Amino acid sequence: MKINNLKKEEVLRNLVTSENGLTEEEAKKRFSEFGPNEIKEVKKTPLSIRFLKQFIHFLAILLWIGAGLALLSEYLHPGEGMLTLGLAIIGVIFINAAFTFIQEYRAEKSIEKLKLLLPFHVRVIREGKEKEIPAREIVPGDLIVLSEGDKIPADSRLIDTTSLMVNNAPLTGESEPVPLQHEPCDGELIESRNIAFAGTTVVSGSGKAIAFATGMRTEFGRIAHLTSAVEAGPTPLQKEIVKVTRIIAFLATVMGIVFFFIGQLIGRSFWENFIFAIGIIVANVPEGLLPTVTLSLAMGSQRMAKRKALIKTLASVETLGSVTVICTDKTGTLTQNKMEVKKIWTIDNQQSTIDLLIKTAYLCNNAKFIDGQYKGDPTETALFKYARENVGDIKSERISEIPFDSERKRMTTINRLPLHPPFPKGGEEGLFAFTKGAMENVLPLCNRLMMNGSIIPMDENLRKGVIDAYHSLMDTGLRVLSFAYSELQPLNSEPEKDMLFVGLIGLEDPPRPEVPDAIRKCHDAGIKVIMITGDGSRTAMAIAREIGLVKGNPVVIEGHDFVRMTDRELGKKLSEKEIIFARMTPKHKMRVVSILKEEGERVAVTGDGVNDAPALKKADIGIAMGIAGTDVAKEAADMILLDDNFATIVNAIEEGRAVYENIRKFISYIFSSNIPEIVPYLAYVVFRIPLPLTIMQILAVDLGTDMLPALALGAEKPTKDLMKQPPRDPKERLLNFKLLSRAYLFLGPIEAAAGLFGFFYVLRSGDWQWGEMLASNNILYMQATTACLTAIIVTQVANVFACRSFRESVFSIGLFSNRLIFIGIAFEIALQLFIVYHPWGNKIFSTSPISLNIWLALIPFAVVLFAAEETRKFIVSHRR
Amino acid sequence: MYKKVLSAVNEHLNSEIAARYALNLARVCGAKLYLCFIAEKGMPQQNISKAEDAIKRLFNEAVETGIQAEGITETGDAVEEINKIVRHEGISIVFASTRREDIEKRFYAGTVARNLSLKLPCSVALVRVVHTGKIHPHKILVPLKARIDHIKERAYFTARMAEGFHSRVFIFHVTRPITRFFYGEIHLTPAQWEKRLPENIKDFMDYLIRYEIAHEGRLAPGITARSITIEAAAKRHDLIIMGASERGLLSSIIKGNPVEDVLRETPCDLIILKPRHED
Repeated sequence: MKINNLKKEEVLRNLVTSENGLTEEEAKKRFSEFGPNEIKEVKKTPLSIRFLKQFIHFLAILLWIGAGLALLSEYLHPGEGMLTLGLAIIGVIFINAAFTFIQEYRAEKSIEKLKLLLPFHVRVIREGKEKEIPAREIVPGDLIVLSEGDKIPADSRLIDTTSLMVNNAPLTGESEPVPLQHEPCDGELIESRNIAFAGTTVVSGSGKAIAFATGMRTEFGRIAHLTSAVEAGPTPLQKEIVKVTRIIAFLATVMGIVFFFIGQLIGRSFWENFIFAIGIIVANVPEGLLPTVTLSLAMGSQRMAKRKALIKTLASVETLGSVTVICTDKTGTLTQNKMEVKKIWTIDNQQSTIDLLIKTAYLCNNAKFIDGQYKGDPTETALFKYARENVGDIKSERISEIPFDSERKRMTTINRLPLHPPFPKGGEEGLFAFTKGAMENVLPLCNRLMMNGSIIPMDENLRKGVIDAYHSLMDTGLRVLSFAYSELQPLNSEPEKDMLFVGLIGLEDPPRPEVPDAIRKCHDAGIKVIMITGDGSRTAMAIAREIGLVKGNPVVIEGHDFVRMTDRELGKKLSEKEIIFARMTPKHKMRVVSILKEEGERVAVTGDGVNDAPALKKADIGIAMGIAGTDVAKEAADMILLDDNFATIVNAIEEGRAVYENIRKFISYIFSSNIPEIVPYLAYVVFRIPLPLTIMQILAVDLGTDMLPALALGAEKPTKDLMKQPPRDPKERLLNFKLLSRAYLFLGPIEAAAGLFGFFYVLRSGDWQWGEMLASNNILYMQATTACLTAIIVTQVANVFACRSFRESVFSIGLFSNRLIFIGIAFEIALQLFIVYHPWGNKIFSTSPISLNIWLALIPFAVVLFAAEETRKFIVSHRR
Repeated sequence: MYKKVLSAVNEHLNSEIAARYALNLARVCGAKLYLCFIAEKGMPQQNISKAEDAIKRLFNEAVETGIQAEGITETGDAVEEINKIVRHEGISIVFASTRREDIEKRFYAGTVARNLSLKLPCSVALVRVVHTGKIHPHKILVPLKARIDHIKERAYFTARMAEGFHSRVFIFHVTRPITRFFYGEIHLTPAQWEKRLPENIKDFMDYLIRYEIAHEGRLAPGITARSITIEAAAKRHDLIIMGASERGLLSSIIKGNPVEDVLRETPCDLIILKPRHED
């Protein structure tokens, strides 16, 4: 039993109130017990804490240890440059924290937008007197006075109504006004006609209602609670980055510890091993990775914006690429939301009956033709336009209307018409009732039919004929409406009784032209598309077939079955290849999304209404409609479609996939340079040579020269077969063995060879003897390290071309197809020239100018790297 | 198990609604219902009258439903007086409503609700009323921990409440996500999670089967309190029945207190049961 089932007296008794309302004292007491009637954000981790968390994850802790060791070294051995290093590592921690935070950050304003839908003041009756109070002071038991234009402040049970109509759009998504009444109703509270819900608006009429739920406990509060509390969780990329950083941190720690002890064993001093430990950490950590990933995502989001997909959270850019299921609305997304009359059906196919049908469609209609434009709901407008174009304007006086609502699924108008054909027997006053609506709600009202100009009784055969015609029109994808009328003798006769069935009109909402191609792309890309529509199953099926969404016999689940199914049953159905949800309301979406996610799918869902917000938040990618969407939906979504078009989602997925592919490319590029950074340290420990590359020089590569070329790799265009591959396996790692072995065992060693060659080339040309240790400010030593650094830069220039693809030759994808690569290389070389030849560069990075012939001596290594990679790609592609 | 049910009533509406849950339990169990009001010293006469009116209404309801009922009005400290009545009458379970000011206190230390829960020698059901429209709950959410004590009594209480309201029971267990250092979080499907259903919960469900109560079970990874309130809101549950917190003050400060969090954010009425009957 719920409050909707009770009689007025029982409602008053249960809530311990009366028709005089609460006393002020009782209201005060209840306010202190139930709290203010307001929408609140669910308590979450504050932004500052979320930012601080970026400083305490595993990799950050490792870097803090590195920085701590460097600062300790500076304290123990001042003047060795360890202070600069310590500060530089702390800088790296801050840079990484800031960029990761930027990636995850999004402004949460959906609750703010929800609050705007509630009133600020409301009229109540307290102590028998009507008064206006702030809406936040409403308590359970308060008697609320409702009149036209009022926003309803709390979920309330109506006890008195006069032609009360409300707009429930924020809760149901349906814009048609709903008539409410005050008699007890059976069934669920949420569907009751004697309940006025918070956030909805009184369109007409008046009433009195007793509040029974306030604030976050209203249906509106429930939406706010879910919108605020539900989280999609970390994105696939965020999860992968965590894994990558843990692997790197583990590698760095193990290498640091192992080689520290090797150093101790071969007799190096503690101090030397200490420097080594810090160096190995810094060399292993790709300091520029997180900034590059973030900037690459930002670039990806800009490219998506150009394709009419506005991304709100940077991390969502890549998530789009991993989507396995899209749950999409039909109207306006797959179709154009431009209704057109396509088929007219009457039992006799006579022009006179067709005229009668069209005139009924004209008169039972609320669309208007103003200043050369049709205004109104798309279905009404289509009917009105068709009627005007075929029978012209009809003069009539609208006496009253029983509006359309989703329960009755029909509307009726009472019109006074002049007595003339084609409406025979207009009655003494020329009064008619015209009805249109769903077949199942109109046909039962009819007992007569117009055939060949005569009115004949409706027998079972004729009824069956009408139903068959209705089904065959539905099967062609049309939205079919039935029309009937009746002549009213006295003014008070029942308008919707003993009606005369006139015919059917089939309307089409044509699919968007780009949609079939986009659906095909989804199928090629292994992405399942699930249509969720309020239309009937036959219409939904026909449209789905027309756009190529289904081919076989899909599973069709209608709203009433959906409600009855358990999660397990639904999960089983959702695993079917083709599935359509018909006669659904937005409130069902979140359940579909939740079950799909629990089954391991990565889900994108579209939505436009207030009550779509929880599903938009729950999905991996919530997609709001830019044109038809409410502000609440837009705030809750991760992406906004500027053109409301399904094809745009597919384009964005393609971009998302490209972004992931590009991230792998620049990870490959960045990780290649780790080897020439690590090997000099190993050589320093094992072969007792001067350190070939200083820690600051490592940072110059990771946070300087590598950055722009890596970003340029992030701007590579999607490859041709990107949308022909299935979505990547959730178990697939960003940093897998293939990628790591290519970087660490193939490209990296060539770069390391180049670095060591450069280092020894300079030393040997300066008469250095094996085993001789050089001071850190020795010019020859500084030139040698500079040569090592330069060798890494030169080979990285070749590597950036090598990393542009995993399998195709650079020449086949077009050497100049990504101009940003050349800008990146120009920056890389310019920065290296600054480091090598400018006094400031020399001072910061302990470098010294080197001659041109050293540069020239290093170039063959770049050529070898490029040639080796092209050979590998040739072999790989021919083996496939 | 429950032969004598006591409900503490006061001048507030939520205590009257809480007492209706007690009334339902008493009806199903064929127990005697004690409606008790403890007037604190200095309480305004108006409040006393309101509480007495509430007792009268509840008493009439009980009589109409065929429940043997008794009204008790005493003066003094609520916890002490109720304790005396419980011991004197041999009460099996006490229902009391939580106040909003109680739940706003951190770890609701020192509140009447907590003191009743700690000091009474019988089972205690603390009721948090937030929604006055769902008079008979149709869907009851029962969040359970992996290890629970007094399984039999918990199951009995849940079954009787469900029986009384003809409700369906939804058992919900929130668990920690499975993580590996290098792999991160491991995703399991509902079917895989189901295999990990803790033994105590299976026992609880067995009892429900014995009591012929329709139920479903679900296990999901996440943060306990947040997951419970989301589940309750998303699936439109009408009532939550959960166990009282076993965590001490220090543990609550460090690890948080899910019961306290659910109390604050519950989207529907909530009963926190502190069972005392041995299995």
